[in-house]
Formats: sequence, C-alpha cells, structure tokens
Amino acid sequence: MQKGKDKMQISALEKEANIDHIDSVVSLGQKAGSGIKKKKPDCKCAVIKSENFSFYYGTKVGVKDITMEIYPCSVTAIIGPSGCGKSTFLRSINRINDLIPHTRVEGRLLVNGHNVYDKSTNLVNLRQQVGMVFQKPNPFPKSIFDNVAYGPGLHGVKKRSALQQIVEESLKAAALWEEVKDDLKKSALALSGGQQQRLCIARALATRPNIILMDEPCSALDPIATSKIEDLIDKLQNDYTIVIVTHNMQQAARVSERTAFFCLGELIEYDSTAKIFRNPGKKQTEDYVTGRFG
Amino acid sequence: MRHIIRQITDRAFTILTGTSVVLLAFALLVILGPMLWRGSKAVIFKDTVEFRKMQLDLYNRGNPANLKVENAETESFRKTVYETIDDFKHGIDTEELIDRTKQIYRQLGKELRYKGVTDEEYQRIRSLARELRDRLQAAFESNDKKVIKENINYVLRYHLDENLAETSAVEFFTLAEDFQQSVENIDLNKRQQYAGSLQQIEEIIFHLLGPRPGDPLPALTMNRYGATRWDLAQKLLDNLLWSEKWIQKEAAQPLVKIRVSRAEEFAGTKLEPLFGYVQNNLDKMLKPEFTVYWQYFIDDSTPGHYFGGVGPEILGTLLLTLLAMLFVFPLGVISAAYLVECASDNIAVRIIRMSINTLAGVPSIVFGLFGLAFFVLFFIPLFGGPSKPCILAASLTLAVLTLPVMIRASEEAIRSVPQSYKEASLGLGASKFRTFMRVTFPVALPGILTGVILSLSRVAGETAPILFTGAVALGPLPKSLFDPTMTLSYGSYDIAVGDRLAMMVPHNQYGMVVTLVLLILCLNTIAIVLRARVSRKLRGQ
Repeated sequence: MQKGKDKMQISALEKEANIDHIDSVVSLGQKAGSGIKKKKPDCKCAVIKSENFSFYYGTKVGVKDITMEIYPCSVTAIIGPSGCGKSTFLRSINRINDLIPHTRVEGRLLVNGHNVYDKSTNLVNLRQQVGMVFQKPNPFPKSIFDNVAYGPGLHGVKKRSALQQIVEESLKAAALWEEVKDDLKKSALALSGGQQQRLCIARALATRPNIILMDEPCSALDPIATSKIEDLIDKLQNDYTIVIVTHNMQQAARVSERTAFFCLGELIEYDSTAKIFRNPGKKQTEDYVTGRFG
Repeated sequence: MRHIIRQITDRAFTILTGTSVVLLAFALLVILGPMLWRGSKAVIFKDTVEFRKMQLDLYNRGNPANLKVENAETESFRKTVYETIDDFKHGIDTEELIDRTKQIYRQLGKELRYKGVTDEEYQRIRSLARELRDRLQAAFESNDKKVIKENINYVLRYHLDENLAETSAVEFFTLAEDFQQSVENIDLNKRQQYAGSLQQIEEIIFHLLGPRPGDPLPALTMNRYGATRWDLAQKLLDNLLWSEKWIQKEAAQPLVKIRVSRAEEFAGTKLEPLFGYVQNNLDKMLKPEFTVYWQYFIDDSTPGHYFGGVGPEILGTLLLTLLAMLFVFPLGVISAAYLVECASDNIAVRIIRMSINTLAGVPSIVFGLFGLAFFVLFFIPLFGGPSKPCILAASLTLAVLTLPVMIRASEEAIRSVPQSYKEASLGLGASKFRTFMRVTFPVALPGILTGVILSLSRVAGETAPILFTGAVALGPLPKSLFDPTMTLSYGSYDIAVGDRLAMMVPHNQYGMVVTLVLLILCLNTIAIVLRARVSRKLRGQ
C-alpha cells in the first residue's frame, strides 16, 4: 500500500528528529487521508467535552483547568513532556483513575453530554462505551479467544456463536485475524509484543465502544509493529473517536487531525495538527515542537 | 586487589550455600532414614506361623490346609518344650503336690466306704493313709534333704501293703518316687528362687508359643497367639536365655544391672536342656517366613494396636484433613480478597490484620480447648447437632487453626497480581467482583495453592486440636460426620503414652508415624503437581 510504504520511509527517518521532516510528514498525512478525514454525516460517535476539569492526586496537581472538546470520528493526539498530565487526563475519561486512592476532581468531564464524574454514572456502561489500550500490552493469561470474548461476555453476550462472530470481527478490525485464525485457543502470552498490543486493541473493540483511548500504545513496540498499529488507527478513525497520548511527535503528526499540547498539568494549545506543528500559536508549544525543550 | 576479594567472597558464598544444602539433606536423612527403615518393618518383615494363624482367624486370609500342615510340623517340637517344663515343675511345685495328696486321701475315704469294709478296718486304713499323707507333706515342705529322705523312705515302706493296693492311695507312692528322683538334682534352698524364675520362663514361653494346646482360650485376642513376628520372637528368646539382676558391685554405690545366663541358673536341673533346645529349634517351632503385609494400610486395628493395621487411622486423617481444607480454602481466600481489594487503611482493618497475625502464633492446644468449648459445646448443638466430639467439630477446629497461614499466603498471592490485569479488566467494564473471579483469582491461584500446601502439612499432623474435639483411640469406623474417628497423629500419641504394650509393638509406632509422613507427602505432591499445571497454563505453555 502506498501509504504504508511512505510511512515506512518516515519511520526510518525518525531517528534524526528533524523538524523539517515533520513538515513533509504532516503534508503527506493530510494528502493521503484528506478524502476520508471529513466528518461523515451519519457519524454516531460520542463527543468528549471537558469544562474546567482538574484532577488532584492528594495535594499534587494532575491536570488543572482543562477546557477542550474532542471531535467525534477523528483522531486527537495529546502531546507534551513527561509528567504533564496527558495520561491523567486520558484515564479520567473512563475513570480508570478510580483505582488510585486519595484523588480529587473538580470541574466537569462530559462524554455524550453526561458528566462521567457524576454520582449517577454507570461505570459498567461508561467503560463499555469507552475502550482503552494501555502502554504495555496486557492481555490476560488466557487464550486469544477468551481475551477478546471477555468484554462482550461481561455485557451479556452468552451464546457461543455470537461470541465467535464478535471475536472474528474484532480480530479482523484489529488486523490480527490472518495471523491467529488457525489457533484461537493458543495462549495470548505466546504472541509477540506487537501482536499482543493488536490483541488488546481487538479486545477493546469487541465491546463496540464509541471512543477508544490509547495511552502511548506503541512506546513498547518496535518500529514495524508501530507502523502496523498506526495503519490500524488510520483505518479505525472513520468509526471511532480516538484519543491517543504519545511521546512521539512524528507519530502525532502522522495519525492525528487535531493535537493538544499539555505542559505541567495545563492545556497550552489545542488546534489542528498542521497548525500545531507548522505554526504554533504559543511560544511554549513552539519550543517543545522544535525540540528546544522536552 | 578488589577483584580478588570479590572472587573470594563469591566462592565463599557458593561454598556456604552448598554446605547448608548438604547439611539440610544430611539432617533429613538422619531424621527420616531410621524412621522409614523401622516403619517399613511394619509392612515388610519375617512373620511366624502364629501370624498366619492370626491372619486366618481375624481376617480370613491364607490357606487353611497349609496352615494345618504347618501346625502339625511344629507340634512335636513344642511338645518337647512343654514336657520338659512339666517335668521340672513336678519337682518344684510343692503346693500342687500337697493338694494332690489331700485329694488322694479324700478319694481313698470315698473308695473305702464304697467297698464296704468294716468300721475297724476303715479306721485303720484311714489312719495309715493319713499318716502317709502327713509324711509326704512334711517331705514336700522341708528344705532339708535328710528330712525328706527319711519321710520318703518311711512312705515307701508301705508301698506293698495289700490294704492300700488297688486304691488311689497307690499314687502316694508314685508321687514319693518322682519327688525323690527330682529332689536328687535340686538345690532345695533355691526352690523358692526356681519357682519365681519358672514363672517368668512360663510367661515367656506363653508369649512365644501362645496358649498351650488344651488350655482354655484367653479372653484378650492378643493373648491367643504367640509371637507373630520373628524379631519379637528373637527378643523373647533373648529374655528366655538371659535374666537381668541387680547386684551390688561396690559398697555405697548404686546397684548395677548384669545379665545372668538362665541355663547357668538352672544348672544341674531337669530344666537346663530347655534353653539350648529352644535356642536351636525356635525356627522349627515358629516357622518364620518373609512377608509383605501391605494390608497394613487397610486393616482394622485391634485393641492396643497389637495386631492389625492402620486403615481406619488413615481414613480418619484423610477425612479430617480434606474437610478442614474444604472449610478453610474459601474462607481464607475471601478474607484475603477483602483485605487486599476492599479494605481501607483505617484502624479497624489494622486491628483485624494484627489479630490474624497473632492467631498464627497461638499454641495448638489452645485451639483444641477452643474447639471443645465453642464447636462441641455451643456451635454444633446450636444447629441441632449432638454435643459430642465428632469429625465436624475437629475439622472446624483445624480449619480455624490453619486460617492465618491461608490468609497470609493468599494475601501475598493476590497482591502480587499485576495491576495491569486489573486495569484491563476494569477498563472493559467488569465490576470488581467479576474482575476478581475471572482475572485476579486465576492468576493468584499458584500462590494460593502454596498456602494450601503449607496448611495441608500442618493440619494432617496436628494432634492437640483434635484431642478433645474429635479423635478417639479405638472405635468403629465413623458412619457420619457426627462420629469421632481414629487418626494417625492421635494414634501415635496414644501408643507412646500407653502402657507396656508400646514396647511390644515398636514396629507399629514407627509404622504409624511413617504412614503419616508418607500420607502428607502424597497430599503435598498432588497439590504441587496441581500448582505446577496451573502455573504452566498461566505462563502460556
């Protein structure tokens, strides 16, 4: 695929972190996907909106006063230096931060118009709608089939035939089907790192979410696996709202339409990817993107 | 310089670890070796014809025809022994002889009346007989050879008296002759001593060969057969040939025990050849053979554990152990899950944790008393059960005993499950409970099984908790959970504190202990294999 080959070339150039190449990357991305990136009229994806959202770990600030709106059926990247609150914000969307004790929340975080931190929120439904892929691939120590069927099984799908269908669809959507279709009973831990991460994506897709959150999904993978996953993200963006946190600016430039730049817990700038990388509004953004700090 | 020091310390460390492993193996060998060796003697040993008799009578095993043949073969040899003893006894057992004379005298009186002699003759013969009787008694009782000779000769002067012929008085003369003969060889002063020793010897022969043919059957089963094991027979033989005496070797020093040959003691008497004879012919009297008594593990045991096997004990131990594990496994896992997943870090939870840790150090006898007071006397009757020691109470007590270990091990295991699995499961929309059951618990299972293994070993071997709550030294097989049972641990304790019987059955003691060790080994092996399989599945192979 032409797009794939270009992406391979760009990956090879990543090592130099040369800002000039960012330009070409962005234009390439725009050119290739420009036909598909328009919002489809019948898109049923959810909208994520945060209004003055703050998150505290005890007294320490996670994120402060975040106000942004994430558009449906698109890929939004969140970039920034380490410890700036990207993952905190992401994990607040499906409330996986609840696992950490002594946390506090201010403001509102709305998914489809409903505040997720409201007391009446049904976490099970929320997490069925909002899927998550983590930094390190974490398939369960079960078979491939059981991994993917875990989610639908939780939400009421009991019949074997229905589960098999869902598993097949999810694995195909995650571009893993061809590699594992012969032996779905094999343990998930026997797969390679990239395959495991794709399995985790398939597992997240199996619950038919509207939103997929990805917390640095490729940071633990080699470049070839990374490019496969980036292909996948590209394919999925038509049907899902994808928010991806990444350290890798080239990756953000490649896959996303809009980018948010976080720094020290605050949202510095949020705009289309092209603008952020070519013509950032704030100086901080420019410093980070050109590599002068971070 | 630093490199050399590092090398030396490395090597020292290796040697130290190697040494400790070797020491551990050596200690195990020293402890387990003799135990296994002697315990195996409960199953593999040389048995005797008495053993085969016992097996046939009590358990219906063996070939009756063969046994009959063997019995016949031993008859002749045993007869010699009995005859020798009887022979000797007649010269010694003066009481018996005196009784006999009295009997004869009375018999004579009856016969005379029956014959219908005249009054005058009757009186005369009777007074003669009376005098003979008194003379014989004097002879029997006296320790002076001269006195004896005098009396015997006096009696024998009348042995041709026609008045006394064809009456039972004739026996007076045979008694007198026999006595005279046996007295020739005996040192009369030693007669008392001989009597005592003879009693001992007779007792040993009774233990060796069983009751005499013709004697009534003893009431206790264990007394109905002779020595059932060849090693026991050898020990009895040694007792027969040597007696132990305490003598004063030096003045103002404690008495010293020495061995004296009995053959020397009875030198010159009719009993002397007995010892040599028994020594040489014991194998013909008992017919020892090698046997593998594997039914030891199934057979019922007899009172005192003298015969039989440990079947009921094994069953009892298994029942108690498995039932206790059944109670403690869910309780321990759920408590651990609560402590890890749901408990917040407040004072109440800290107190709970401290209590659990303290409970692990409580002596097991306290658990036994607790079990008695709580389960036997309160808890089970509360639900309508009988208020007596039973399997249910004992296994509940054992479960409480091993609960802290189980909770600790499970807690560690559940805590060590990677957070990422929990996150992934929760992220897919699972509730906390589903996450625990479907993800956390299977991953923590190997660690929990380690807790099970540790608990198993403890529970199977505990004696104090079951002392008052469910164990019994001897009884029928339990028919329900509300019956008490015999166990291996309690049985070992019982034999150890029992009476002198314990010395007669050392093989049974060792056998019971070894069976317990082997049983625990088996249970542990099963649990370890299970854990390995679960582990392998988790690791993806």
